[in-house]
Amino acid sequence: MSGPVKGGATVKARAELALNDEFLRKAVRFTTERLRNGKKKASEEHGNWEEWRERGRQIRLHTIAHLDYYLNLFVNNARANGVHVHFAETAEEAVKLTLDIAKHSGARSVVKSKSMVTEELHLNHALDSIGVEAIETDLGEYIIQLAGEMPSHIVIPAIHKNRYQIAELLSKEAGYELPPDTTALAGFVRKKLREKFLEADIGMTGCNFAIAETGSMVLFENEGNARMVSTVPKTQVTLMGMERIIPSWSDLEVMATLLPRSATGQKLTMYMSGITGPRRSGDADGPEEMHIIIVDNGRSLQLGDPEFQELLNCIRCGACLNACPVYRHIGGHAYGSTYSGPIGAVLTPSLNKNIAEWDDIANASSLCGACYEACPVKIPLHDMLVYLRRRKVESGHGNKLESIGMQGFASVMGSAKRMSGIVKLGKLGQKLVAKDGEIRLKLGPLKGWNTYRVTPSLPKEAFRDQWPTLESELRNELREMKPDMLERMKQVAERQKQGGGGGHHG
Amino acid sequence: MANQQQESHAEWLARLAEESKAKQEKFMNGIAKRLGHPRMTSAPAHPYRGAPDFWKAYEWTPEERIQGFTDNFLSVGGHVARLESLADAAAFIAGKAEEMSARTVLRQDDPALAELRLEETLPAGASVSVWNSDDESQWKTVAAGADFGVVQADHAVAYTGSVTVLSASGKGRSVSLLPTVLFIVIPVERIKTRLGEVLTTFDETGREGLPAGIHFISGPSRSSDIENDLTIGVHGPGIVYALLVG
Ligand code: SF4
Repeated sequence: MSGPVKGGATVKARAELALNDEFLRKAVRFTTERLRNGKKKASEEHGNWEEWRERGRQIRLHTIAHLDYYLNLFVNNARANGVHVHFAETAEEAVKLTLDIAKHSGARSVVKSKSMVTEELHLNHALDSIGVEAIETDLGEYIIQLAGEMPSHIVIPAIHKNRYQIAELLSKEAGYELPPDTTALAGFVRKKLREKFLEADIGMTGCNFAIAETGSMVLFENEGNARMVSTVPKTQVTLMGMERIIPSWSDLEVMATLLPRSATGQKLTMYMSGITGPRRSGDADGPEEMHIIIVDNGRSLQLGDPEFQELLNCIRCGACLNACPVYRHIGGHAYGSTYSGPIGAVLTPSLNKNIAEWDDIANASSLCGACYEACPVKIPLHDMLVYLRRRKVESGHGNKLESIGMQGFASVMGSAKRMSGIVKLGKLGQKLVAKDGEIRLKLGPLKGWNTYRVTPSLPKEAFRDQWPTLESELRNELREMKPDMLERMKQVAERQKQGGGGGHHG
Repeated sequence: MANQQQESHAEWLARLAEESKAKQEKFMNGIAKRLGHPRMTSAPAHPYRGAPDFWKAYEWTPEERIQGFTDNFLSVGGHVARLESLADAAAFIAGKAEEMSARTVLRQDDPALAELRLEETLPAGASVSVWNSDDESQWKTVAAGADFGVVQADHAVAYTGSVTVLSASGKGRSVSLLPTVLFIVIPVERIKTRLGEVLTTFDETGREGLPAGIHFISGPSRSSDIENDLTIGVHGPGIVYALLVG
């Protein structure tokens, strides 16, 4: 095999790459199935799931609707706790601040726990450029960092690697041969990263929730690496999306009920940590200096936009990925961005303020509504996908095919009653996702994408040859469609037929 | 020289603080503008605070709580022992030290844990250190080298099978994190039914009273990142004993 090559430039090409990797397909399906079943079991066992979802939604809606108050409160309280708080309107500003902190701390290495925001900023690369080693310490993230790749799933980032590939990567790192045995591999990583934790000058974390009333930040994790990076190094730097706020610890109970169950089916992650400022004067561990960088990077564009504001309610659980028949089929890399799956399909173009070039990803969705059903805070992702398409057409960037796609959707829905039941709805999914048996996606011009490499596997089958698999899968999904979901889809179609005006442009 | 350097670091932080405060106003005003309301300066009514009411009324009997905690903790690969007294807990830890040939034990500086008198009960050859009991030791390094960490739970939650440990000068965050094996002493009367019963205490305490680290621990460190295969003990302790005392 030759060396790694650049990933395909188009979503379609990437989907083909993904679809031709038999292991990836199986792994994605197996993992998403496992997580989905876990969530189902956990939510049923807990009971009253709809009430909890509604409560979670209300708390998020309330916080975002008063974000100026709550974020400001958080900032003032965090400062009072001794945290150095910073604001970054753009990714560039966030990177600049981080590098400034790294330089002033004289840092040689940074240990990181999982953070989607730092992925979004391509922070590792930036640190590298000033000679600071950035080490991902989440097991899955560490593996894909060694491979020079991007995460393919929010919760399980190395979902696409098998243990032989992992053993090879880690053996290279170890300088000796490691067996393809998960315990041995994890044991090696534990030892290796222990040294890194103890050596590192800076610990970098993301932030699941930030509690406004006490200025605390909360991290959910299973491995203990987030605790490591926030306990051992002298300086802690936390990057946090500006929307991560919740008002109180009482509200955290609702989030702690929804997030782990939706993400992995756990009652609670093995660790949930609330960190309130740097170490106290008498303490012998914890960071001496703590920074929190609050990142906008396109998030505020959603504020005040009735169609998309709810995007900010997302708690990054990944349940919509696991529920999405398209994600399950093509995997995360085909989306070609930090955030994949239904949430990525909507969030990426929204954060990039670039509806014209990005909504090809939105088309890689079946609009079946499974993402909404799965979402613990009830974000209407399937409606947003439709809004995105409409905006593209309205802004003059749509082409005929897009419009036909929309009409097709509307007319199929319009005559849904006359059609012989749900099986036909499988075709609806097909219509929207595919044209001539190919995922109807064109260009996804990605800056970040260039940094991603895939090991080439010779395409044996074209994507369209695998189309029947996806079709039958979608058909099965849709057969399970609940009546209210069907109703919702009809309503969307109805709105489309009536011209669907009243869009809000930025 | 060192002094000068420190000063410039402080100056740098002060400059960042000024910049941050200026930006804060701009940031918040921008948010308010987008939301279409004037800057909010007082707390809005929050009718949906916390868990739904039906949940707040949910409660288990003390025996149910012990059972629930035990079942949950076991289900994620933790170990549980029900013990009558601290002396029994000490004997239990000593037995495990014998079994696993533990050489170094680190405990929190806590009156209840002092009562365990581990120095006397542990087998010969095992040494006991007490977190932050002198200024010379590198306590994080001591914790990283410890075979056993011994802590007491400040709270426990039956419904999720979790314990809560709060940091303090005598109670390092590292003690429940860096050793290979973790023992958590839990007085049974501290086991509550719901997570919310513990979380609301932090609202009641308020910002100024909170410790730097509040950690909920629900079992051994774990990962399923390699081929969905469950691996125990990735970064934190892989072997965790919940010792229910009383
Ligand atoms: S959109 Fe909903 S389901 Fe998807 S990651 Fe966000 S919170 Fe989870």
